[in-house]
Amino acid sequence: MADLTTILGPLTLKNPVMTASGTFGYGAEYEEFFPIKELGAVVVKGVAPWVSNGNPMPRVAEVTSGMLNAIGLQGPGVDKFLHDEHYLPFLRRSGATTIVNIWGKKIEDYCEVAERLTAEKEGIAALEINISCPNVKEGGIAFGTDPKMLSKVVSAVRKSTNLPLITKLSPNVTKIADFAIAAQDAGSDMISLINTIPGMSIDIETFRPRIANVTGGLSGPAIKPIAVRMVYEASKAVTIPVIGMGGIVTAEDAIEFFLAGADAIAVGTAIFSNPTAPMEVIAGIDRWLDAHGIKSLSEIVGAVKI
Amino acid sequence: MDYQCKVISNVCLKGDYYRIVFFAPEIAEKAKAGQFVHVLIPTLKDRILRRPFSINDTDAEKGLLTVTYKKVGRGTAELALLQEGVSCRIMGPQGNGFTVPDEETFPILVAGGYGSAATFLIAKHSPQKGIFLMGARSEKDLILFEEYEKVNYDVRLATNDGSVGHKGFVTELLDDAIAAAKGRKIMIYGCGPEAMLLALGRLALEKGVKAELSLDRNMCCGTGACFACVVKVKDESAPEKWRYSRSCKEGPVYGAEEVYYG
Repeated sequence: MADLTTILGPLTLKNPVMTASGTFGYGAEYEEFFPIKELGAVVVKGVAPWVSNGNPMPRVAEVTSGMLNAIGLQGPGVDKFLHDEHYLPFLRRSGATTIVNIWGKKIEDYCEVAERLTAEKEGIAALEINISCPNVKEGGIAFGTDPKMLSKVVSAVRKSTNLPLITKLSPNVTKIADFAIAAQDAGSDMISLINTIPGMSIDIETFRPRIANVTGGLSGPAIKPIAVRMVYEASKAVTIPVIGMGGIVTAEDAIEFFLAGADAIAVGTAIFSNPTAPMEVIAGIDRWLDAHGIKSLSEIVGAVKI
Repeated sequence: MDYQCKVISNVCLKGDYYRIVFFAPEIAEKAKAGQFVHVLIPTLKDRILRRPFSINDTDAEKGLLTVTYKKVGRGTAELALLQEGVSCRIMGPQGNGFTVPDEETFPILVAGGYGSAATFLIAKHSPQKGIFLMGARSEKDLILFEEYEKVNYDVRLATNDGSVGHKGFVTELLDDAIAAAKGRKIMIYGCGPEAMLLALGRLALEKGVKAELSLDRNMCCGTGACFACVVKVKDESAPEKWRYSRSCKEGPVYGAEEVYYG
C-alpha cells in the first residue's frame, strides 16, 4: 500500500482522486454505488446565487470517444444548496470531503456565493471558481479567456473567503501558462484543468446541430491528450498545486496526468458509463505504485522525462 | 445499483424490433412497470455512454429481465449482435415507474410504437384487465400487442396508414375506451412519442381522467447527476411557471397534471 495522502497547499485529501464538477451531481446521486466519503473529494455541480434552469433540450450529443454537453449550469442556487436536505446537509452527513464549484455572471455574483458558503462552511473543504464553462452566455468562460478578467474575479473571491481556493481554467486559450500564473498571482491556492473544449456536431439528416445550444463542451477520452499537454504546460509555470482532468477513465490515465505535473486528478465523463470509475481509479493507482515500487505518489508528480 | 448480467437470449421479433433477455435477478425482483435499465453495451467501443431501455418484462423467480428494443442507431445495432452468454453491466431498476393499479382501478394503456414495451408489466399484474390501445405508423411497427391479448386485455389498434385497425392516431381511440369503462375508476397509462403523450395528457385533463405518462429522453448518466434528460414540469413558484425535471430520477413517469404543456 503506497501512501495516497495528497497535500494540496492548505487542503489535505485522503487520496488524489476527485470527481469533476457537473459529472457527479451533488454526491447523493452516487451514494448507492459506493461510500462517497472514500473519494479524495466530491466536487459538486456549479452553485450560483440563483436558481438556474440551464439550456434548452437537447443538451448532450455523443461523439467518437466523447460527448458534447451544453447543460448550461442548471442548479438549485446557493440557498437551496446550503439548506435543502439533498445538497450540503446530505454531504455533511455522508462524511465526504466536499469542494463546491461556484459561478456567476458578474464578479459580485461569485463573491456573493463565496461569502454565503464561507459563512456556513462546516463540511466545505474548498471552493472551485468556475470561469471556464463554455455553455453560459455571460460570466463563465468570459472570465476564463482573459487573464486580466481572471485576475479580477479570483482576487475578489479571495477576499470573500478564507476557504482553500481552486481556479478551474479553460482550455480555450492560446497560452495556458499565462492563465495559471494569473490565478496564482491573484491568490488562488491551486488550479484545476481542463474544462471542456467547445465543439459541434450536426445531424446530417435534419441539417440541425445535435444540441440546442448549437455548440457544446467536448469531454471524455477524446480530449485526454490535450488535457495532459495543458497540465504539463500549466504545472511548469506555477508553484501552486495542479488538479488535472480531461478524459480520465482508468488509473493508467491518471498516472499520465501525475507524470505531466498534476498533484491530484478528477474523473468526470467516465462516471456516466461507470459510476464506480473513481473508486477503480483509486485502487488502480495504488496497485500501479506498488507494482513500480513507489512509496508515495509525490515521487511521480511532474516526473515526465523530456 | 449496477450488475453484471448475462445474455440468456437475443432474438428478432420482426423487422427492426428485437427482444433480449438477461439473467438479472436483483433487477427482476425489484422492477416495476415504467422503470428502466441503463445498459453498457460491451462491444460499442468508441461510444462512451450507456443506453437506457424500458423494462418490458420480468420473471422474479427465474431472475430474468426482458428488454424489447428497436434497432435505431449504433448502440442498438451492436446490442442486436450480442450472443447468448455475453455479459453486460446493467444499472437498474432506475426511475420512478407507473403507479401500480389497485383492485378498483380499470387501466387504459395507451402505447405509441415500441412504447408498448413499457406498459406491459401493468397489464400482466393489474387485478382488473383493462383496455390496451396501440398506435403505430403501420402494421410493421405494431409489436407486442399479442402479449396483451394473452393477459386478457381488450386490444384496439390504430395505424397512421390504415394498414391495421383504425386509420389515424391512437389518441382517437380514447373516447370509446373511456366510454367502455364508464362508471369505473379509470387510470390511463401512456408511453410513446412525445407528441402523442402531450396530446394524451391534455385529453385526460379535459376529460377529468387520471393519467400517467412516461416521458423519456436521451439519457446520459441515468442517475440524476448530469441534467441531460430533463422535461418541463409545472412549477407555480418559478417565474416561467415551469422547471426542468430530470426524467431519469424524478421521472420518467409523470402525472398528466404535472406536465407543462407550454
